[in-house]
This record gives sequence, structure tokens and C-alpha cells, in this order.
Amino acid sequence: MLLGPERFDGAVSGSLELLGNTLPRVAAAQLVAGFVWAMLPRDRFSQLADAKHGLRGLVIATAAGIITPGGPTSAYSLLAIAAGAGADRGILITYITSWALLAVQRIIVWDLPFMGAEFSAIRFVVCLPLPILAGMLARRLPLSLVLVKTPSQPGAGK
Amino acid sequence: MTNPGVLVIYGLLIVLGTAALSRGHGSFQQGLIRGAEQLIKLLPRMLCALVAAGFLAMLVPTEVISSFLGAEAGFMAIVIGTLAGMIIPAGPAISFSIAAVLANEGASVPALVAFTTSWGVFALHRVIIFEIPLLGISFTRLRMLSVLILPLLAGSLTLAAMSTLSKW
Repeated sequence: MLLGPERFDGAVSGSLELLGNTLPRVAAAQLVAGFVWAMLPRDRFSQLADAKHGLRGLVIATAAGIITPGGPTSAYSLLAIAAGAGADRGILITYITSWALLAVQRIIVWDLPFMGAEFSAIRFVVCLPLPILAGMLARRLPLSLVLVKTPSQPGAGK
Repeated sequence: MTNPGVLVIYGLLIVLGTAALSRGHGSFQQGLIRGAEQLIKLLPRMLCALVAAGFLAMLVPTEVISSFLGAEAGFMAIVIGTLAGMIIPAGPAISFSIAAVLANEGASVPALVAFTTSWGVFALHRVIIFEIPLLGISFTRLRMLSVLILPLLAGSLTLAAMSTLSKW
């Protein structure tokens, strides 16, 4: 406001224009997410803890993160289930990093409508190896890990 | 730049909508309701974030944004993008609105990749709401240290890939 009414109006109308451009895409993307949410079997994802140690486990954890639908509520509850079932720390870190960076549903719902296809593709390719790197680092970091224990997941820890 | 993305979204909407309809069990209605609910929740956040980021862009001259986050800034833009992504304690509607405004103001692709990657792995609200209660603070500590270099790597890889491609 201190810069004068013209600049104020300019900023508001510029933002509204950006909103108007983005909104139809975001609306469509939210409906896509809604359909995915309504149709996907969520219980399948709890098999993550069976993934073996070594690089293969990290690759599986990355793939699981990519296909996990939904927001942090579903990803983190799945992570807690995998932790409770005794998945190793590399797998846990790789899985949640993969979900945060590569989850296809998040890319469709957020990256694509806001940033465009080219940006989304570049970011996906560049980030593809990173969850595995994070998992490998997590296995080597000399930090103790004490997981929160909940009644439904005895034996949490490792 | 946005056309293929728009096609993907609308294409998926048609495919998934049809699949949900043919599947029955109320999948279509559930999906529709869920999507509409999410959208209604997002709208005010997007509006505020876009307008606020628009004001910020207006107050901070475009030259400043492009000199700190633009292509000329090179690696420094990646570092600044990473730091900016770390401190946004809000969901995707807000962080991506900010990213879209920054893109409009001339931020470079590597800087924006660093920003969105940094927000993706650090997002403080997610840590506070989900990670610490469900897994504990020692998990958060381990994860933070494990992912610390990822945004810088993502930005640098983008920078390297773009300069390699432009030489061809």
C-alpha cells in the first residue's frame, strides 16, 4: 500500500490472473486425486517391511513411495506401520523421501498444474536417485534411532 | 510449456472418472465429493498465498529476485532456493503458489527445483503434525541429516543437465 494504489492494484490483479490461470488445472487435479483416493486399495502398501536389506530394499522403497497415493496422512501412517513391522532405517528414510519428492499423485496434483510439464519432468528425473542416496546415508549415519511405540506395533525400534 | 501438463491432467480426469463410474460402489460420487472438498479447502490458501507472494514480488523488485534466484546467480540461486524451501512451514497449496510467483518473476529452473525439493523434504508442518508424533524425534533427526544435501544436489543436477542440453 505504501507504494501507492496503482502498484497495489497491479499486485492484486497479477495474482488473481495467476490464480485464474492455475485454478481450472488445480480443480481438475484435485478431482483426479479424489478418484484415485476412492479407487485405490490402501491395505496393499503395508508389505513394505518385508523388503530386504541392501540396495534392492531401497529400490523397492523408492517404488512404493512413488505409487503411494494421498497426502501425509496416508504416507506417514504407512511409514509408522513399516517401522513397527521392523523395516530397517534405510528403507524407512528412502520410502518417506521418495513419497515427498516423487509420489506420482503429488506431481499430478501440484507440480503439473502450478509449474508445467517440462518442470515436473525435469524435477522427477533429477530427484529419482535421491531417495536411495538418502537411505544409504541413513544407514551410515552414527545416530541412535528410538521409534515411538504404539500399542498396535509391538517391537518397534531398530 | 504448460500445454502437455494440462492435457495430462484433463486426460487423467476423463480416464479415472470413467473408471470410477464403471466400477460402481459409489466410487464416482466418493471421488467427486473428496475432490471438491479438497478444492474448497485449498482455495482460500491459494488465494492468500498468491496475493501475498504477489505483494512480496512487488515490494522486492524483479531485478532483485532475478539476481538472487535467476539464471545469472548460478549456484547461489540454488542455495537461496534451498534455504527458502526450508523455512516454509505450510502445505503444497502455499509453497507451490510461491514457486509459481517466483517463476513469473524470473527465478531459474535450477533454483525452483531446489526450492520445491527443499520444501518437499523439510516441510516443517509435516514434521510437527505427523513425523514427531508417529515416529519420534530421533527419526526426524536421522531423516533431516540424511536429506540435508538433496535439494542442493537436485538444483545442481538440474543446472548441469540444462547447461549440457543447451550446448547441443
